[in-house]
Amino acid sequence: MSLYAYAIIDSTVGVEESIKGLSGAPVYTIPYRDIGIVISDLNAQIQKEDKKSVLKHEEVVEMLMDKFTVLPMRFSTLFSGKEQVLLMMKNYYDDFIENLDRLREKIEFGVKTIWPGDLIRERITTAHRKSDNLPLVASSSGKSFMNEKFENYKIDKEFEEEADRCIAIVDGFFSKFISEKRLEKLKTDNLLLSASYLVDNEKRDDFKKAFEELKSSGGDLKYMLSGPWPAYNFITLKHSGDGKFGGMDLVETVLQHKDPEEKDEK
Amino acid sequence: MSKTIETDSLEIFANEMEKVKDALPKKIEANPENAEKGLAKLVLTLIELIRKLMEKQAMRRVEAGSLTDEEIERVGETLMKLENKMKELKEIFGLKDEELNLNLGPLGDLL
Repeated sequence: MSLYAYAIIDSTVGVEESIKGLSGAPVYTIPYRDIGIVISDLNAQIQKEDKKSVLKHEEVVEMLMDKFTVLPMRFSTLFSGKEQVLLMMKNYYDDFIENLDRLREKIEFGVKTIWPGDLIRERITTAHRKSDNLPLVASSSGKSFMNEKFENYKIDKEFEEEADRCIAIVDGFFSKFISEKRLEKLKTDNLLLSASYLVDNEKRDDFKKAFEELKSSGGDLKYMLSGPWPAYNFITLKHSGDGKFGGMDLVETVLQHKDPEEKDEK
Repeated sequence: MSKTIETDSLEIFANEMEKVKDALPKKIEANPENAEKGLAKLVLTLIELIRKLMEKQAMRRVEAGSLTDEEIERVGETLMKLENKMKELKEIFGLKDEELNLNLGPLGDLL
């Protein structure tokens, strides 16, 4: 049997017995000094792509969020026994306390933006071809190759500059309401921005209002807001990065598996 | 705490996120059946990283005008040969361009 971990919480009290975790096992707390780790016993193997388990993990963390400050663990974090859990708690205790203090009363929102990247690249490429402003006289194969590469380099550079300008505008809508942010640019040509914002709980409505304003600002960009999430992307560990904590991958996995008609407010 | 997923274009976002997921394997798949390909993928990804860095540096120097004609010719020839060699190696191991990448977690993508 293994111990499956959901989150670190800023409390040593036990969680409600009614909360069921993976495989329907009851969820409970192992206290360490003034904090706790929420776990459940697990006899089965976990499949990384198991939609039901991913959603269950997230469901438990969300329930904990209502009562505690949580540091969510990455999906499929397992310990062989209580001793291993306590050793990890001891090793990371200072980090946990620091993160719990920083993330108290804070939530995470995700904002994704799609732009017509294919069209923008095409427009830039056409403009470059028209200007035909090549820097080298292509008298040899080496120079021809460099000319072609240099043109692509200029196109990429202009494309990225255009992306930076758009991202600054999108990001500007939220700057007044956030504590921290993580921005990822152009994960694909069309996915202009994948942003995670850390927001004070009391500013959540302002943040959502800013999103509405952004959405109604016109243009041909498309936006998606998700959250509030536990602060998956804002946990920073000095001790080491052993990959046991949450991150964009879990948020995206949950997003991909979620049936919005079934669970979410539209 | 009620969660919102708010967008007018859920399908478009789902498709785009699927592309990201497909393009970036988190691990090199290596098992007894494909050990050679798994290793080749890792090595070629690292070579590709270095090749692209060299190429970018060369472009910056062309842009800054700090290369002589002869140097441009030599760098061009070298980069062209490297690119062709990479094409050959990718074909030999049956690897596509988009497979030569690694997600480094919090550090982002390698390429």
